[in-house]
Amino acid sequence: MYSTAHPRDYPACSGCSLCRLVCPMWRHRRDPRFSPEGIAKARQNGAGVTELADVLDACTLCGACDPVCPEDIALSDMIMDLRGELELPPDLAVLQVGYAQAAAQAAPAPAGALLLAGAALRADPTLLTQVEALLGLRSAGDDGADLAVALEIGGDIDPQRKRRFLNAIDGRSLVVGDGLLLRELRRWLPGARLQGLGEALGSLPAIRRRIASTDFYVIEARAFHADHARLVAHYDGLRKDRGCAMNLDLQRIAMPARASAYPALRMGPAREDLEQARWLLQGRRPARIVIEDAAERDVLRRVADVPVLHLAELAALNEVTVYA
Amino acid sequence: MAPDALQGIVRQQTNPARWNGKAWSAFVADLQALGVEVAESAATRGIFATDAGGTAYGLPHGVVIAQSATQVSALLKAAQAHCVPVTVRGGGLTTEGESVAYGGVLLDMTGMSRVLAIDPVTMTVRTEAGIYWHGLAEELRRENLDYLSAPLNMTSSVGGTLGVGGIDVNSARLGCSADQAISLQVVTPTGEIVECSDNENAELFQRVILGYGQFGVITEVTLRIRPYTPLRMHYYYYSSLRTAIEDLQLLDRNDASDYSGILTIMDCAVNLLVAFDSDEREAAFKANWQQRLRGYGEFGFALCMAGHYALRPWRIGEALYLFRRKQAVFPEFRRPEFHRDGRMDDRTVVFSRAVWKHWGSRNMVIPDLATSADKFIEAVERGNKVCRKFFRHYTLYCVGIRLRPEHKPHYEMSCVPPDAEGWAYGCEFEPMIEGEVYSRDHFQSFKNAIYDIGVDLGASYYRFGGMMKGYIRRVFGDALVDRHLAMKRQADPAMILNRDVIF
Repeated sequence: MYSTAHPRDYPACSGCSLCRLVCPMWRHRRDPRFSPEGIAKARQNGAGVTELADVLDACTLCGACDPVCPEDIALSDMIMDLRGELELPPDLAVLQVGYAQAAAQAAPAPAGALLLAGAALRADPTLLTQVEALLGLRSAGDDGADLAVALEIGGDIDPQRKRRFLNAIDGRSLVVGDGLLLRELRRWLPGARLQGLGEALGSLPAIRRRIASTDFYVIEARAFHADHARLVAHYDGLRKDRGCAMNLDLQRIAMPARASAYPALRMGPAREDLEQARWLLQGRRPARIVIEDAAERDVLRRVADVPVLHLAELAALNEVTVYA
Repeated sequence: MAPDALQGIVRQQTNPARWNGKAWSAFVADLQALGVEVAESAATRGIFATDAGGTAYGLPHGVVIAQSATQVSALLKAAQAHCVPVTVRGGGLTTEGESVAYGGVLLDMTGMSRVLAIDPVTMTVRTEAGIYWHGLAEELRRENLDYLSAPLNMTSSVGGTLGVGGIDVNSARLGCSADQAISLQVVTPTGEIVECSDNENAELFQRVILGYGQFGVITEVTLRIRPYTPLRMHYYYYSSLRTAIEDLQLLDRNDASDYSGILTIMDCAVNLLVAFDSDEREAAFKANWQQRLRGYGEFGFALCMAGHYALRPWRIGEALYLFRRKQAVFPEFRRPEFHRDGRMDDRTVVFSRAVWKHWGSRNMVIPDLATSADKFIEAVERGNKVCRKFFRHYTLYCVGIRLRPEHKPHYEMSCVPPDAEGWAYGCEFEPMIEGEVYSRDHFQSFKNAIYDIGVDLGASYYRFGGMMKGYIRRVFGDALVDRHLAMKRQADPAMILNRDVIF
């Protein structure tokens, strides 16, 4: 590391390529342009946003590159900032407006700790009810889904909207379903008690003891990488405790089950999602797949012939009594 | 600039002249007609502007991402026809500009980075050569398998490593990475796709292995593999380089450990690391060899150092540096997520993370000396004096390499010194840049001072290409170099492949 200045941006990239090793976008294409390093180097060589549009639009924002960068460059931030200069994808703009209208009409948040479910979990009301019951939390009607979309597209966030959202949740314990929103909430509310959905559910004894050594456990990548230094110990403990395999690579980076960008827009898995999920399961022979992110269920079901269960669904099953 | 324009600095080699671009357009047109994409934007070319060394800079006219042996073949045939230089790049971990293109086309092999077949019966893997060792380890691990030895750097590519050697902390037992290769698919400089091994097209195999990319592009590799095992690590600390090296060689000669190597903080804190794949090997070491080692444990060494510096208070700055360095680096080697039941998982990740975080820099200047076992102590001690003269802080990394007598033809004109029998030993001399600003000339002068020791001792080097190629004739002699040059001219009539790396 040759400078300790923060925040660090693309000029600090020395081209070590460590980010390529963990990048789903690179793994799918095997083209150095499609990697955080490629973007940083292109910027160093004068590339403008338009020239990088294809690459920026291909990034999954899984955040895997952030913890591995030896120069501590905020690579996801770099990509999100650059995306903000691109033309707004029309489908996402419509989606964002819809979520914003729903948030404006939502009832005030109930008192106490809250669940910010996020769009993927809200899309499965049965699962959402299970999660609420297990965590003993009520969902906020305004869970910031429109803000999550804004973060996804790197768009500007209306300061008034942001203030309204934060005022309603400030000072409470929060469990956050959307990894990208969780990442940003850690900055917006630095003193807040925040947990990702996976961490919160995985800490419940009723769920934890039902994770079997024959399971393949899929960590939600965005939440994990946003707080990697702490969560790597949490999941290492879970792995040691339950003996299950996880989607962690040799660097202890979570490999997402999908490799396409803008997951909120996808009706079904894209070709690169199927390829990524197959690669993730290659050489593994689990009895079940356990997921933290409901949005990864579809693609995993398509490529695996074993049950794919959300973490919350384990609670309803018989307890695992024997370690395989 | 005249060779003696900078007083006191002997200039062996600087960036080669940029290729003039003649026939580039026709070359690109030929490739495009074959459906090969040549990326010519500044943004793409800029990705490859330098290598890990960060002291050599150059831009290709265009970049081709490798897709298949057939595509590489088409590229090389067109390059021969139009006399366009082709620079092949894997992980780009060269330090002397060997993977930097000074014009012409840069062939990025990381596009060919898929594992093709893992065979747990024959314990071999077939893989595309542009794969990073880390990527290969990732897929082998799912089958509870591992490669034999690879550089302790996750972004080294398999093909690039086989072209130069590849050293691991188990090389004293298993040999260099290049010795793992059973067979290769090679695209020759004239575009033929050839399978080669010790039994099939053996002469090509001998030239391509450790051949610095002169005689072909490696596109596929069959490697030996083994069952995966976590390591039981032991560290011994010395204040004398000589004593630590003697103990290292004692362990290697007697096959007393599975892994061994020396990593230092200058010549003040010399760490001999010893590791084992199995409890049986570790127990045998403890019973037969541990008591013969003269190094201290961590606590004993700390006491020793405290006494040493208490009597030399004027060297308090050095003592503080050692302490700060220990505080920063040691936790990196002990991260709990990479340890279980006292064993280390994924040694390459642990070491590579530490290397990039605590040794990495915009400039990585790592001259080295490779000698026979009996010359090694002198080489390291003389090199250490050079480091002290040029830099405030530095690191030495020493490791043995078991040689395979049947591979002697592979070793010709390589990092393996010609007089080495049984084992060769290598030492890297790495200055700690630590935010200081050094000119390229300072670095070059330092490298020359180290390499002059090699000439004097009849040693070899791992990094003798690129900017250091001026040493090739001095260390290998005209007769051998001319013989290889003749072979190169025959194999590569237009002299296009990895021009200016060796010849």
